[in-house]
Formats: sequence, C-alpha cells, structure tokens
Amino acid sequence: MGEVIVITSGKGGVGKTTTTANIGTGLAVLGKKVVLVDTDIGLRNLDVVMGLENRIVYDLVDVVEGTCRLKQALIKDKRYEGLYLLPAAQTRDKNAVTPKQMIWLCNELREEFDYILIDCPAGIEQGFKNAIAGADRAIVVTTPEVSAVRDADRIIGLLEAQEIRNPRLIINRVRPDMVKRGDMMSIEDIVDILAIKLIGVVPDDENIIISTNRGEPAVTDNKSLAGQAYRNITRRVMGEDVPLMDLNVPAGLLSKMKKLFGFKSA
Amino acid sequence: METKGIVFKGNSDGLVIVIPEDYAWEDILREIDSKVSGASRFFKGAKIKVTYRGSELTPGQEQELKRILDEKSGAVIESFSREEAKTPAFQESINVTRTVRNIFAAVSSDEGNCKFIRNTVRNGTRIDYNGHVVVLGDVNPGAEIIATGNVVVLGTLRGLVHAGAGGDKDAFVYALKLLPTQIRIAEAIARMPEEHIPDDGLIRPEMATARAGKIIVEQL
Repeated sequence: MGEVIVITSGKGGVGKTTTTANIGTGLAVLGKKVVLVDTDIGLRNLDVVMGLENRIVYDLVDVVEGTCRLKQALIKDKRYEGLYLLPAAQTRDKNAVTPKQMIWLCNELREEFDYILIDCPAGIEQGFKNAIAGADRAIVVTTPEVSAVRDADRIIGLLEAQEIRNPRLIINRVRPDMVKRGDMMSIEDIVDILAIKLIGVVPDDENIIISTNRGEPAVTDNKSLAGQAYRNITRRVMGEDVPLMDLNVPAGLLSKMKKLFGFKSA
Repeated sequence: METKGIVFKGNSDGLVIVIPEDYAWEDILREIDSKVSGASRFFKGAKIKVTYRGSELTPGQEQELKRILDEKSGAVIESFSREEAKTPAFQESINVTRTVRNIFAAVSSDEGNCKFIRNTVRNGTRIDYNGHVVVLGDVNPGAEIIATGNVVVLGTLRGLVHAGAGGDKDAFVYALKLLPTQIRIAEAIARMPEEHIPDDGLIRPEMATARAGKIIVEQL
C-alpha cells in the first residue's frame, strides 16, 4: 500500500513543483514506484518541469469526471523506471475537482504505487483543500523570507486542523553567504517559528533554473548542490537518517583562481 | 428562593442586596447573616463592592451589615453603600461584558475562568474567550488572542493580543518574550517600539499593563 504525501507551502513560487519533481525522480531512481499528481488545475507546471508536456492526452479532471480510465491518463516517464505523472487540466479551474474525488483517486493510486506525491497549488482555497484531502503526510516548503514563513505557518495550522500531523519542513533557496551576513533568516530562526521537524535544506542553485528549462530534474545532476540536497531529502523521505549538508562549500582550486582574477565563483 | 425574601444579585462591580421595603430590621439582619454564612466558601478571596436597594437603612444599620459581611463572607468588602438611583442596573457594553454569572463567582482581575492552550497558536488562528487565556507555547504572527481577562504566554508572543477585551483596564499581558505585532489592553492600543527587540536568545519575561490609557511594559 502506497503513501500519499502532499507538498504544499501557502506562498507561491517557493519550490513546491520543483520539490515534487525532484523527490519523485529521486525515489524512482532508488527503485520505487512513484506517481506525481499535479493538482494545480488551470496553472499546471509539473508536466513542464518534468519535460513531459508533449505527451499529455488525458488529465486529472478527465479521470475524476470519468472521461477516461486512470491508466489512460498516467504518463510513464521513459527515462526513469517506475516514474509516472498524472497531469492537471489546463483549460479548467480548481472547482472541477472535489476533495471527495481526490480521496477516491488517492485510494486508487495507493494500490499501484509506493509513493504518491501531490503537487499542491499556492493558496488556501479549493486547490489546497483538494490537494490535502487524500494525504497521509505533508511536506511544507518555504524560503528564508518573512512572507513565505508567515504563509507556511498558516498552512501548518490548516494541516493540523485537517488532522495531517507532524508535517516536515523543507527550507528552499538558502544562500549561506547572506545568512552569514545576517541579511537572510537562518535555519534556526525558521524552525523556531514554525516548530516542525526539518526534512531538508536546499541551497539556491542556478542549476535549478537550467534543469527546469530542460525538463530534467536536478536530482540526477551530480554537479548540482541543490540536486545533492534533493538526493538527501529523498533518502530521508524513505526513513533514512542523513545528516544535513554543509552548505558552506569550501572553494576548489578553480574557484580560488576565479576569485583571484576577480570572477565570482558559483 | 422565596420571592418575598432578601435577594442577592450580582453585577460587574460585585454584589447587590435587594431588601424588600417592608422588612423589619431584625429579619434583615438574620437573613443576611444566614445567607452570607452559608455562602462564605464561594465568596472567599473575592474583592467586592456591595450596594443595596429597597429598604432605607440608617448609617448605623449599614455599618452593622458591613461588619457581618466582613466577618462572615470571607470576601474583602471594598464598600457598602446604597445603590444610586441613577446608576442603571446593568451596563451594556459593546464587547463581551464581564458580568458575574451568579452571586458566587469572584470578580477580581486575578481570578476567573481560564482557557489553557497547550500548543503554539499559529498564523490565522483567532482565540476569543470570556476569561483568562494561558498559552503553553508560542503565539505566531498573524494569530490573535482576544480575552476579557488576562493573557499569559509561556513562550514568545509575536501575534496580536487583546487583554481586558470587555473593558477591564486592570488586565495584563505576560509573556516570556513579549514581541507582539500589536498589544491592546481594554481601550488602549500600542505596538512595541523598534528598539525593544534585543534578541540575544535570553529569556526576558515581561508584563504589560495599562496605566492612564497607556500601555507600559515592565521586566520581571
């Protein structure tokens, strides 16, 4: 029986879709059978980030309305064995699905998959309510910014009200240099306010932009720091105890040379 | 309760004793004595103002009754006087009023119903309570605690707090770290000054009270 994990945040643009894509791909690479479900109806992105948009025939709304069978809507990712995507509809809106339908859908998917990752839309209205309806666990994503942390706190309150307890936290787009200067909230500050367990910290990394544009999740990129962070998070999702990465990367020879000549290192 | 006997009533200041006009002094004395003796357990520790209406009493008789109340009720009698005709029996208040539910409820700022909240109060949560509120955790920004009594936070208070929401100017706010976005006591509103936040990690319990319409914060 599979586990349904919703990835949510409240605030938009903090990295829910990126996180869903990377953890999902990471789990598949480690041999699990995974389905990614995009519930951001009307503003779908998960398909783009996964590089699967050209292969969409049926979507989530088609499935709940009975237009097609669930199997017909699932897109098998040809790069990674065991990885599937159920895309959102683009020409409908979030009222096209109800929480009851989501519960039914999650129960169906539980039979087939080890992990069902639900990419939640931003906000606290119908889209959010749909996304959390069938979830067993939650991962809350935030960035180290006051507004994102406020929204995350609200979301955690709403999750607790829905009996989804002990959500785990991912702090995304951390810039250690700014934290050191005191210009950015530290991990401790954020955990102190949100008071939930941390499951990972992802550094701000240009490679995320590149990988998104290419439709190739960074978790498979050995040269990406963010990718490494997501690989660690994937293992923690599976229950492994992985120590937090030291984000203060010691400069390699090349970056030291770059600094000498006045070039900024990555 | 006999309709023709002496009746004890409560109001927001304390006790009102209604004495039927035709009662003899000995009967008044006897009834009040027995009523108060029987109720001493409930009055204990209360600070109440007592007024009476109905029969006219001489100053000597007033003194006698006050003495009985002092000795037998267990409460601290702040005053004993005839109710002024122009004082309305009840005072309507825009917000929730701290009316005494029955004659046995104590009426000071240091006693009363209390709601305990055993977790962190998160953004978006509003606690509205007729009584005191104690939070065993933090109050995050965006959360609101509205209480007619006092508010105590055994953690960091970062949200909005309104103590004495029914008009009780003696209400206080106490927190291990007092950093509210906005603090209100009865009618007074204030925000914390910019320089207030030292945040060196030390716990500095502070109490906020209202004095002459202004909110002041003291370290304890």
